[in-house]
Amino acid sequence: MNAADRSTPALELKNITKRFGRVTALEDVNLTAYSGEILAIVGDNGAGKSTLIKAISGVHHQDDGQILVDDQLVSLSSPADARAAGIATVFQDLALVECLDVSTNMFLGQFPRRGWFVDRQRMDTESRRFLDELKVTVADVHTQIGMLSGGQRQIISIARAVRSGAHTILLDEPTAALGVRETRHAADIISNLRDSGKAVICVSHDMEFVFTTADRILVLRLGKVAGVREVSATTREEIIGLITGTKQEAA
Amino acid sequence: MTISPESPADRGPENTVPKNTVTSAAWGWVVRQAQSRAQLAGLAGVLLVLIIVFQIGNPIFLSSGNIMEMLRATTLYFIVACPMTLILVSGGIDFSAGALFATGGVTAGLLMVLGIPWPVAVIIGMAVGGALGVVNAWLSVRLRVPPLIATLGMFFTASGIITVITGGNSIYGFPKAFTDLGQGFLLGIPFLVYYAVVIGVVFWILLEKTSLGYDARAVGGNRAAASANGIRVGRHDFIVYGLAGAVAALAGIMGAARLSSANPAAGGTALTFQVVTAVIIGGTSLFGGIGSIGGSALGALLFAVINNGLVIINVNSLWQNIFVGVILVSAVAIDQARRRRQFSSRR
Repeated sequence: MNAADRSTPALELKNITKRFGRVTALEDVNLTAYSGEILAIVGDNGAGKSTLIKAISGVHHQDDGQILVDDQLVSLSSPADARAAGIATVFQDLALVECLDVSTNMFLGQFPRRGWFVDRQRMDTESRRFLDELKVTVADVHTQIGMLSGGQRQIISIARAVRSGAHTILLDEPTAALGVRETRHAADIISNLRDSGKAVICVSHDMEFVFTTADRILVLRLGKVAGVREVSATTREEIIGLITGTKQEAA
Repeated sequence: MTISPESPADRGPENTVPKNTVTSAAWGWVVRQAQSRAQLAGLAGVLLVLIIVFQIGNPIFLSSGNIMEMLRATTLYFIVACPMTLILVSGGIDFSAGALFATGGVTAGLLMVLGIPWPVAVIIGMAVGGALGVVNAWLSVRLRVPPLIATLGMFFTASGIITVITGGNSIYGFPKAFTDLGQGFLLGIPFLVYYAVVIGVVFWILLEKTSLGYDARAVGGNRAAASANGIRVGRHDFIVYGLAGAVAALAGIMGAARLSSANPAAGGTALTFQVVTAVIIGGTSLFGGIGSIGGSALGALLFAVINNGLVIINVNSLWQNIFVGVILVSAVAIDQARRRRQFSSRR
């Protein structure tokens, strides 16, 4: 099932280290993500998953190591830098503005303009088009985010990442707040992203979701990479062993 | 999945039939308009009732002379209220407005008395106000001093400096070309009213049509989300506080032109509080994200109507503050109720 182009990684992390005071949250983390592939990042609480996502999305700057996008060294010192490098993030808190409507949230930080003014009409039609592409029925793109359910917000947040034209999409616990039906829908959308050639990186606790949706799994444990496995060549037992440390990667 | 406003009936997992598939875009538009206009309509209603009461109390209330007087009393407050609206929508506050107002008047006044041509003096006065506004932003963005404290500190500092420089005295002796700009009439309407209309339109466009306004609502609505989506929130603050300082100084310069004198005690806490109050009464949320220039115009007008009307019907003007206090608290209570209704426990 791997249509992934493994010649050039869409995103490559080399020896990323991040410290907070005396705590080392990430140590020598290496990661490669390819276009047309879903890479799941799993690990226990405190394994460094969120820190890793934040380093890639420009929220935290790494203390050591390099980030390469399409083999080019990049410096991601702000979310705007990450965006410019083609990396879009769907944060766990979704980063939506509740008092603004769907289409404004879809274009947050990248409002289309016509001359001096924001092109509201283009914003609305493009929002509708992107949501249609993701097979999300929207009654009205002028609905305030505050009026939507958690699942609906999740979908909007993913749609926004797609809309931004990024080649690499990071999702932080995309199914955490979702019910069964919503999780299935989110998984479909994420698979569609892979099929359309995006490099998708998903942090998740949800093993069911990881094994049905992802192509490769990277396990973090205590801030280090405990192992990387193809989904087709591993078992849940092995992954859980890597997460808990009962199974060590042969160095 | 259907994305439409969720009704409580939609939440259960069994409920696979969305209740509101009938929600058409047109109906949504109607609901939205009604919601966003509700508070403004309420305010307009209060204003209308007051106008009727005052008019019955004394028929000269709605004479053209008195209307002009009220408009003129509103203009300077409204001009300062425009950038204040932008700041509140961005989730900030500017308590230095009254001091920057005086600083603008005193700076331009001193320069004119020193023989500097008045257009240059006006530009330098605005630039000083703008620079102090930028300092406000710098204090809050770089030093992380909350805007409330940063601007309050600026209020005292700026007032103190101009009081020291002038020895607390007013400055007189401006060129006639300059004072005419503050005292002239066109078609029976004071120039000042035209300035206020122009500034109001400019800020309406900024807030409603430009990415500055869209950014403001995003930054005020959820600063972390705005930042995570690539809006440069620090840069945004520098722009809005700088703009606010320059416009407050401009209003102070207009005030100096109107009175032919610049007083270091002009503006002050009275102007600051009145402007903030007018903006909030006008439906702009103290918590950011929501607000309109039209609302601030109504809020500013309400002050002038209460102030003027109570005098005209021979009620002790001390009553003014009681009215304002009740209306202010009501406006915020309405805002809170609105937020609770829209955003309650949806996560």
